[in-house]
Amino acid sequence: MSSLMTPPSDPPPVETQYLASPPTEDRGKATVPRPGSKMDIMATAQNRKATKPLETVPAGEQAIIRSERFSLYYGAKAGVKNITMDILPHMVTAIIGPSGCGKSTFLRSINRMNDLIPHVRAEGRLAVDGQDVYDKRTNLVNLRQQVGMVFQKPNPFPKSIFDNIAYGPRLQGVRNKGQLQHVVEQSLKAAAIWDEVKDDLKKSALALSGGQQQRLCIARALATRPRVLLMDEPCSALDPIATGRIEDLMEQLKTTYTIVIVTHNMQQAARVSERTAFFYMGELIEYDRTAKIFRNPGKKETEDYVTGRFG
Amino acid sequence: MNLRTRGALDRVFTVLAGLSVVLLTLVLIGVLGPMVYRGSGAVLFGGTVEFRKMQRDLFKRGGSEALDAEIAQTEEARREVYSLIDTFRKGIDIEAISDAARRINRDFGEELRFKGVATERYTELRQRSRDIRDQLEAAFASQDINEIRTDLESVLQSADDPAFKGTGAEGYFKLAKDFLNAAEQVDLSKHHEYKASLQEVEGILFGSTERPGLLGPRPGGPLPPLAMLHYGATRWDQARQLLHQFKYRQFWVEAEPNAPLVRREEPRAALFAGTSLEPLFGYIQANAEKMLHPRFTVYWQYFLDDNVDSHYFGGVGPEIIGTLLITVLGMAFVVPLGVIAAAYLVECTADNWVMRIIRMSINTLAGVPSIVFGLFGLAFFILFLFPRLGFEPKPCILGASMTLAVLTLPVMIRASEEAIRMVPQSFKEGSLALGASKFRTFVTVTFPAALPGILTGMILSLSRIAGETAPILFTGAVWIGPMAKSVFEPTRTLSRGSYGIAVEDRLAMMVPHNQYGMVVTLILLILVLNAMAIVLRSRVFKKLKGQ
Repeated sequence: MSSLMTPPSDPPPVETQYLASPPTEDRGKATVPRPGSKMDIMATAQNRKATKPLETVPAGEQAIIRSERFSLYYGAKAGVKNITMDILPHMVTAIIGPSGCGKSTFLRSINRMNDLIPHVRAEGRLAVDGQDVYDKRTNLVNLRQQVGMVFQKPNPFPKSIFDNIAYGPRLQGVRNKGQLQHVVEQSLKAAAIWDEVKDDLKKSALALSGGQQQRLCIARALATRPRVLLMDEPCSALDPIATGRIEDLMEQLKTTYTIVIVTHNMQQAARVSERTAFFYMGELIEYDRTAKIFRNPGKKETEDYVTGRFG
Repeated sequence: MNLRTRGALDRVFTVLAGLSVVLLTLVLIGVLGPMVYRGSGAVLFGGTVEFRKMQRDLFKRGGSEALDAEIAQTEEARREVYSLIDTFRKGIDIEAISDAARRINRDFGEELRFKGVATERYTELRQRSRDIRDQLEAAFASQDINEIRTDLESVLQSADDPAFKGTGAEGYFKLAKDFLNAAEQVDLSKHHEYKASLQEVEGILFGSTERPGLLGPRPGGPLPPLAMLHYGATRWDQARQLLHQFKYRQFWVEAEPNAPLVRREEPRAALFAGTSLEPLFGYIQANAEKMLHPRFTVYWQYFLDDNVDSHYFGGVGPEIIGTLLITVLGMAFVVPLGVIAAAYLVECTADNWVMRIIRMSINTLAGVPSIVFGLFGLAFFILFLFPRLGFEPKPCILGASMTLAVLTLPVMIRASEEAIRMVPQSFKEGSLALGASKFRTFVTVTFPAALPGILTGMILSLSRIAGETAPILFTGAVWIGPMAKSVFEPTRTLSRGSYGIAVEDRLAMMVPHNQYGMVVTLILLILVLNAMAIVLRSRVFKKLKGQ
């Protein structure tokens, strides 16, 4: 497990290339005289992808989350219907769609957070790392430690910063003070918040700003050393600067973790993700490379949505 | 226009709200102020030498040479009172002096026989003794001063007879002289009235079998059975009341036919005008402080001491301990139960009709009269449950605290339920998403976040448990009794004591400072407990807020 915390020995060229490309030049290209918001978004996505190799997944790599004809019902009403999609490791996968389309429901199905709602019923198969999530024998504790989650509103516990981060490891039975200290430091560093809080780890987490709180929540999720990080509109309660930091952070984290993000903000999806899935009315309409979804969508609904014709 | 109406209405509401706040404050001050003022009299008062004597004898406190000297000084000042009364008594208490004359006659006969006097001499002396006795009795019974003089002079002629010298018969002549002295000064027709009035005076000064007097029982005399009657006025305010009663006789008269009686007062000294007792009134008024030595006293041991003679003396120590015991034990039952029940209602159940009925029942229980809980506690815990658990089925601390716990359970459940419901769902989701179980999430995240609200419920329960009387009336509180040695024995509590001292004992009417003192102690205790809980709550709250 500990190997997950350290980045792979040969870092993929993606990030360096992205950082090396001068952003001003990209922005200049983005504002070519084709009118409409669709162009802007597409241009951003296009520019990003242009500087990267198109194939971001090494050939033959297995999907980490595999959904086959997965449906989730609230009583008689379907939350999501017949979702079949593979989410690949070490990538950011964005799920977009209008409100009530089932994108959050699908995300929360992956670590079974929907269990909290009464009369929930799942059909089909949803597997993380080959392990069926909705199998009766699935250990929820293990599953949720494998699949971390970050919520829409920052939700640090009303405890100290240290206790917030140490919450997950303590659940796993880590009691050793030095070990906890190490995990807390590693997690806070990984979430790029260590420098801001290292001097007062005893302070209440609620005293932090909204952006800091959200990064703290990410650090808290990382402390259980998950393989997948689910993000449910993590920036919707944050200002643009805090949002920018979280997006940078995601860029760093995807080398180690697989990230699935639900977002309302299409620019964000275009900026941070390699793959994008478009959900509509509880169904998966289209799932492809982000560049393709925004530049050349295969379905009419997708095009309507990304061009801002509805939603 | 519309805007102006609205503005006017706003002002009216503001004024009304302000007024109601002011009214509430005034009521609070109006109710608590006099109570606290009078209750403080239990601790702060002018203590007399009698108080210090009582503290030395009953509580083994403060005995010293200085106190002995003080007692000697006051006794010195009191001697005049004793002698004035004795002198007066000899003139008017016919039965007592007749008894004395008869006793002298009897003792004289015994004396003669013991000495072995010859029979003829014996018969003669006995006859003369009987004659003197008869003459004395005639004189004592007479209301004519001339007749008395003649009788007594004939008696006194025998005073120089050598047959009586050095024998018990000398007592006759002392009696005769004293009576002659007294009879010269009194209106002989008023013997009986004098006697009754003197008894009243003595009751006020030395105490009766019912109530203590100003100075306490006369030294050397027999002590009454109750400890409260061994001492005079221990407090200067009591002393002043007694002095007033001493100075003025109270009686009730019908002002006009069929009208309610009205109380009148007349100077008592007038009853004894012209007698040898008259100077007593002036003397006592002038020397009251010398006889009692009042001094400002802080009796802080009131909160530690046990009481003597149904709260006539002493404090409320065992009551405080009993109240704390019952409160702590009751809280130990109600807090875990209430929190667990609330957690169950919030976290583990759906909102269906069964739950609605349960919730409604809890709300209804909160409104059930407390005496009903008392009877329930007696019937269920003590008579039903205890024998089955192998405990003795009698009222005890355990039964009382269990009953009180049931009484406050609805309040506790409601407050905790609200508090737990108020914890944001996002906290719980955050914990669950990290792999924590529901139970773990409740213990480590939800419960701490709900703690301020739960503490509010605790404060409400605490005040009720500490202050309720009816539920513990049959289940474990007593009004008088020994200290409890275990939780299986009944205890005294402040609430039960306040009730008892108010209605159950006539003696307590004489010590209003102790009645109020008990109530004020209860109020203070609840106030202190609440203040502690409120400080705790604000600390928890600040910690949660990250300040």
